[in-house]
Amino acid sequence: MRKHKADLVILFSTLGLMALGLIVIYAIGPMRANVLNNTYGTDYDPNYFFLGQLRSVAIALIAFFLSFKVIPYKYIKKYAKPIMIIALAMSALLWFLTMIGSSLAKCELGECRWFNLGFMSFQPAEFLKLALVIYLADFLARKKEEGTIGKFHDFWLPLIIVAGASLFFVVIAQGDLGTGVAIMAIIFGTLLIAGVPAKQYLIMLAIVIAVAVGSVATSSHRMERINAWLDTISGAAVTDSTYHIENAMLAIGTGGFFGVGIGNSVQATGYLPESINDSVFAIMGETFGFVGLFLIIAVFGALLIRMLKIADHTSSSDERILVVGIFSWTLAQFTVNIMAMTGLVPVTGITLPLLSYGGTSMLFIAFALGLVLQISCYTSREGINHEDISSRGRLGGSRHSSRRRRS
Amino acid sequence: MPKKFSRIKILKIVTIVALAIITVRLFAIQIFEHDDWVAKANEQHTLLETITARRGEIYMMDGNEPVPVVLNQTTYQIIIDPAVTKKEDIKKVLETYAKDYITADLDKVYDVEGLRYYIVAKNVPYSIAVKIAESETPSVWLKKGNQRVYPEGDMGSTLLGFVNADGIGQYGVEGSLNKILSGKEGLLKTVSDINNVALSIGSDNIKIPAEDGKNIVLSVDRGLEKGIEEIAASHIENTAATNAAVLVINPNNGEVVALTALPNYDPANYGAVKDASAYINQVTEIPYEPASICKNFAFSAAINEGKMTKDTTYFNKGFEIIDGWKIMNAEQRSSIYGEITMKTALYWSLNTGSINALKLLGDNPNEITKEGRERLYDYYHNKFRLGRATGIELIEAEGYIEDPNEGWGRDSTYANMTFGQNLGVTMIQTATAFSAVVNGGTWRTPTIVKGVLEDGEIVPLGRVADSEGGHHSSSSENGGGESDRTLPVEDKILSDETSAMMREMLINNRNYKARAGIDKAGYAVGGKSGTAQVIVDGAYDNTMSNLVGSYIGFVGPEGETPKYVIMTKMWGEGQALSGAEAQNLFDSLSNFVIEYLKIKPAES
Repeated sequence: MRKHKADLVILFSTLGLMALGLIVIYAIGPMRANVLNNTYGTDYDPNYFFLGQLRSVAIALIAFFLSFKVIPYKYIKKYAKPIMIIALAMSALLWFLTMIGSSLAKCELGECRWFNLGFMSFQPAEFLKLALVIYLADFLARKKEEGTIGKFHDFWLPLIIVAGASLFFVVIAQGDLGTGVAIMAIIFGTLLIAGVPAKQYLIMLAIVIAVAVGSVATSSHRMERINAWLDTISGAAVTDSTYHIENAMLAIGTGGFFGVGIGNSVQATGYLPESINDSVFAIMGETFGFVGLFLIIAVFGALLIRMLKIADHTSSSDERILVVGIFSWTLAQFTVNIMAMTGLVPVTGITLPLLSYGGTSMLFIAFALGLVLQISCYTSREGINHEDISSRGRLGGSRHSSRRRRS
Repeated sequence: MPKKFSRIKILKIVTIVALAIITVRLFAIQIFEHDDWVAKANEQHTLLETITARRGEIYMMDGNEPVPVVLNQTTYQIIIDPAVTKKEDIKKVLETYAKDYITADLDKVYDVEGLRYYIVAKNVPYSIAVKIAESETPSVWLKKGNQRVYPEGDMGSTLLGFVNADGIGQYGVEGSLNKILSGKEGLLKTVSDINNVALSIGSDNIKIPAEDGKNIVLSVDRGLEKGIEEIAASHIENTAATNAAVLVINPNNGEVVALTALPNYDPANYGAVKDASAYINQVTEIPYEPASICKNFAFSAAINEGKMTKDTTYFNKGFEIIDGWKIMNAEQRSSIYGEITMKTALYWSLNTGSINALKLLGDNPNEITKEGRERLYDYYHNKFRLGRATGIELIEAEGYIEDPNEGWGRDSTYANMTFGQNLGVTMIQTATAFSAVVNGGTWRTPTIVKGVLEDGEIVPLGRVADSEGGHHSSSSENGGGESDRTLPVEDKILSDETSAMMREMLINNRNYKARAGIDKAGYAVGGKSGTAQVIVDGAYDNTMSNLVGSYIGFVGPEGETPKYVIMTKMWGEGQALSGAEAQNLFDSLSNFVIEYLKIKPAES
């Protein structure tokens, strides 16, 4: 396929969201520093969080550029398996360091999810998501080529081992249900597109739902979260566990139509926990109002739909699966985060891609989006970007029809 | 149908549905529920804080200069956020530095769930507060406040009162003038961060500054008060009395220059007082029977009505029988039986004499008449204003005067009233009425407040209804009431001649004191004693073992209207204190007052 121009929607929405994240952190970072200094006696500079975000954005832009322009996907694909092994090994190492109580493992609120590198911290689960997408794209495309999709030994067994290990480290060892949800989304998205038989796919879905319900019912901690969520949406009395959701919704609700404006957020002055990380969307709701949030959703929507379009027009299965994997990852983080902030699902502690404060999360999502951009340079039929992909007949490329029928 | 496209389409539908749900949800929260969330936010973000007003200080006079007797000291409250402050940390800090100021049981405080604010120590001085601040314990606040300091110790405590832990004045001047002293609290309404630090965000922030309380200057002279308390204390020591009250008032303008009721208590440690009655100001709050002192008022009434003079005579047989009751004279010496003058009757304090005044007042020398009773009531209640609050800026009791017609045994009741029984009046009422007797016949509202101190100047309080003060018509022990203050009264109730005649008789009463050299040459000192039986279980205790002694008199240069009226009262539970003991105290005080206030003798 001849190389053409990259998808400008994805390019500019990515850069735009990063810039918006910077602006918001610039406005509320000093408040965050002030709250921490007053409450815990820390000594953060007012610009500490803005400078941190600036550094994260700079690093993310480098990664974005590397995956977009420098490192060919073909090259990355060759190392899909070693990358996956390294990612799992890093999580295993973190688990081990946590077990022996090493100071190299950084814990917050009882959950140990970060390597402490001194000058910065690193969250291996973020790398794991990228590695998983790269691995699954390669693995599923090969299985598809081999025609072994749906077979137990060749397909399901290795998949279950990789997925199981990933979920174990993330959900059990690191207690990070949010990333667990993203991993599940990646798996479901890529499997769907790889052509797993519908019956098997539905059985898998049923099993996962059963396990999820079972794990909630058997864990008082998770049950408490669900109850807190139910209390909040039913308007029951505010307790400590409902406080977070209540204040996120309060921030969004006070924003009204146009918002209170940049720098006028009151909820960011300490009322809303995690105001710069997981709850940044609520602060945006307070600051920019419904109009602002609608625009952000529109930008994300465009980004997501464009990724599907690129997936639809890639020349190879591995690229398509890779793009859908990244799509699923972005969609899961974005919707779950916002649904949590608006009381639609229980809070799980998941970052908002490109907007939340946090270097590792931004680094890997930027790298992934860079890959999507790289692939967008090699889609078939250049004029197709302007067509309506919902129209199957017109969008259907004859090139893939034979392969499709095989599954 | 090509499968790939249907599967991509599934993802597209999932995306659109998810984003649609989110958008609808946001629309609901941000548009439909907007007002509810704003209301909730206001509740959560608004900091409503009262700004403490500085309490006014209390001054007495030192000659012509005001001097402080009640001062403020800045102290601090220690406040914690139990959700953040660690129990062990604050416990250690408090026990190290502020052990004596802890007001909370930390174990109990930390048992309460969801508590974000608790005062754990009060009245912490600056030096200790600094140490607590330097300990940098998380989420510990210091709130500035005031504590009263008493440079004169317990002097005048029953006059001054105290300020309780809530900052409210109790008893005395602190209680009666609480509103003026406490000023007006300010209000701070602002959007605040989670640590209750005010933010500049928001448009309806309000700050009403506090109006500090006014510094009150009492007309009481500090040195005089101190000297009087020392003298009274020595008299308590040398008699059976446990209590003594002294009131010194200028009869020409109503200003109280000394007022004390011993024993005092330590206002800085008022909680140590076992019996709350110790807080009560006996001079204004307790009605009693001043006994023979009232003869002055009965005599004044009859003279002023032209019914008698000091030289009018009557036949003293030593007793009278009225309504079947035999009323005896206390003094039974044979030399005063038979035809005697009213002047002699007053000198010997004969009850038959004052009953005779009542008879004459009713135009019948042989018996008490309705007219006599009504006229005496008019003088006692309407003119001398006995049994009524005087309007002084202190907590006051009213007392009572019996009706001249309603009820059984009016004649005997009114006969008793002529020598000060069967009525209830306070010392301040008695001294104010007596002032009218000797000052030329004008009843004046007594006052104890010279004004408020503003920029070193004494500004009159403006004795009007809009400022709070005196005239508390109930005998409630607890001060701080807000009743309308009546305008000061100046009422000419007796003629100059009546007053002069009364003065002459009162000076005559003390002839033997002058002869004994107690009353100095060049001065006019007059007075009258009273020995009251105490009512025990609803009847007079006829064993005479429980008596209250009072004395009232005046001092001034010879031939002039008196400069000061001095009233003394001595008592002790179950003790017989006669007017003689009160008179001894008066004798000591009259000369001290003359000396201290530098009253010059008449030039002869």
